[in-house]
Amino acid sequence: MNELRQLARELLVDEKVDVVIGWEDGRRGARPAFVTAADDAERLIFDTRCVHNLATYLSPRRSHLAELGKVGLVVKGCDAKAVAGLLREAQLPRDRVVLIGVRCGGVLEVPDLPQPAELTSETVAPRCFRCDVREPHLADHLVGEERPDPPRPPMTIDERVAAVDALPVEQRWEFWVGQFSKCVRCYACRQVCPLCVCDRCIADKSLPQWVESASHPRGNLAWNLVRALHLAGRCVNCGECERFCPVGIPLSLVNRKLQQVVKQRFGYVVSDDPEAATPVGDYRLDDAQEFIR
Amino acid sequence: MSERPREDPVFLAADALDGLAGDLIAAGTEVVGPARADEPASPAAAAAAAAAAAAGLDKDVLEYRAVSRAADLALGPGMPRLSLKGLYLPQNEALFAWRQRGSDIEIEPAPTGARTRVVLGAKPCDAAALAIVDDVMNWDYADALWNGRREATTVFVLACGVEDDSCFCAAVGLAPDGSRGADGLLTPVEGGWLVEATSEKGAALVAAHAARFGAASAERREQAAAFRRTASERVATHLEIDADSVRDWIATHFDDPLLAALGVRCNGCGACASVCPTCHCFDIVEESDGLGHGTRRRCWDTCQSHKFTLHASGHNPRADQNARFRQRLNHKFAIYPLRFGEVLCTGCGRCARACHAGQDLVEILGAIDVAARRPDTVDVQSPETPARTVGAAAPASER
Repeated sequence: MNELRQLARELLVDEKVDVVIGWEDGRRGARPAFVTAADDAERLIFDTRCVHNLATYLSPRRSHLAELGKVGLVVKGCDAKAVAGLLREAQLPRDRVVLIGVRCGGVLEVPDLPQPAELTSETVAPRCFRCDVREPHLADHLVGEERPDPPRPPMTIDERVAAVDALPVEQRWEFWVGQFSKCVRCYACRQVCPLCVCDRCIADKSLPQWVESASHPRGNLAWNLVRALHLAGRCVNCGECERFCPVGIPLSLVNRKLQQVVKQRFGYVVSDDPEAATPVGDYRLDDAQEFIR
Repeated sequence: MSERPREDPVFLAADALDGLAGDLIAAGTEVVGPARADEPASPAAAAAAAAAAAAGLDKDVLEYRAVSRAADLALGPGMPRLSLKGLYLPQNEALFAWRQRGSDIEIEPAPTGARTRVVLGAKPCDAAALAIVDDVMNWDYADALWNGRREATTVFVLACGVEDDSCFCAAVGLAPDGSRGADGLLTPVEGGWLVEATSEKGAALVAAHAARFGAASAERREQAAAFRRTASERVATHLEIDADSVRDWIATHFDDPLLAALGVRCNGCGACASVCPTCHCFDIVEESDGLGHGTRRRCWDTCQSHKFTLHASGHNPRADQNARFRQRLNHKFAIYPLRFGEVLCTGCGRCARACHAGQDLVEILGAIDVAARRPDTVDVQSPETPARTVGAAAPASER
């Protein structure tokens, strides 16, 4: 933690950045911190409660944050994947951000705790199991000690997806209709997503109204399908949409399922390599999909 | 709502509640209260619920919902995920259907007859919100749908033991045993509840089912008083503000750095408005049901979304999240009290609990209260004041 604070302080003092976006202690747990004065670098923390994917604050939609100036962003590996996504899609000039990578040993699934907590198989966020970016390669600076592998949760994300997949189709339909029926259409999932970068979301367009804004089953299904498909091949599985959902829709199951489909159909896995060719951004003469050749 | 002094309390034994709920349901009344997930209605739903349970979903989630028996009511600690407002202002509802025939348009209004409903065990903060929102629902236009549901519903609140340190009803003039917006109050005592009717409607319900109630012993009255005293003392320590000073400060400090830069960590997700018992803004949308016919609906909306104030010209007077979050505070703690004489907040704390970015109304109100009452102690650039941590990151150009 001292290494992180010292680095943040130096970046601010040396005017390499105008603001460091990291995490601090809040009343209900760790939360995003915006540090503009070197002395405030002491507020920064990193522990298992630091879940919030801060890459979302780089979104071009957030004009008031662009006014803060050049950003030093503290990133875990999964957060760095989101930054790579923004770079890949030309949403972020690389020189606008200095990436401070933290070595991560996994985070809590329910992080709203006043004190840091050790990870156990019961408390670890399932997506952390077998994480492939515990050291953010994209970072300009890397801090923190190496940490042990995150424990295995009782049910991994893939096992959760498999449990739903195993249902006969009408029961699977019932499952998703039941889950989506809870949706109140607040769009928290979209707002917090680091990769929902559209200037005007299709859900906000009313001429014509492509997606009905009423929270009836038809509108909710339309919105949740659109959200899922727009993130296919882009989602970094940070789980923030699910965490911010005020009614507990298991969006990470949708996202994970689409990751599996994209891997199977296009041989693509989202990484923190900003140069990687993506399924929607790449054309190949030997494309597996016949319709596009 | 005609309020009246609380009736002499009576006692409702735990096993008499089932009979009371049964009587009401048998008479065609819908009984609503905090309850855990509903029993699946079909084998497919049962399998889906089992899959959800296996994936750790929906466990221990409380919702206000209709129950078929009193045993399903969870009349203990626990805050329903959404407030009571959806019973009165549904997430979406049809206002009318229309059909075009040549140059004529037929309008078919949505039915306004509201179902007779009794709510048992609502949170006092959720019932208070109904009375507060009544003001705007009857301001320049009497909202027939809202008013009809208010009249058709009898609400008995359950005295609250205080959920956690995000509860702050006392700071906004309410109480964990308040009966504002309610027709009666239940307080947990040994073997059941002490019941006090607080409106004509509540007294009528108790009188109509008198056989289900018994006399309240002095011992149980003392238990109830002790429960309520403990809760009131506890919640009072969570936040103390002077709402009038906060109102006046907000109304006169539109461009103050403390108020103008609070949206930095806010994701603009609107979850706070969805879970808020007093947020009542709605959007009116047209839904085409096919060529030449459709439905006009109203749906929950939130001032935290970009689209809320977007003009047809493309201009947006609240262009960023700083402006939008300021509006949320302004509406709740200045605009509404200036127009209707009371804050648009019941201190339920759901917004703080729902916000995983740590946008914390308890902290923000505390900081504004300090700015309003002890302005000499506030220096936004000093790390010693709460103003520094609530947000207040100034643009690089102003530093």
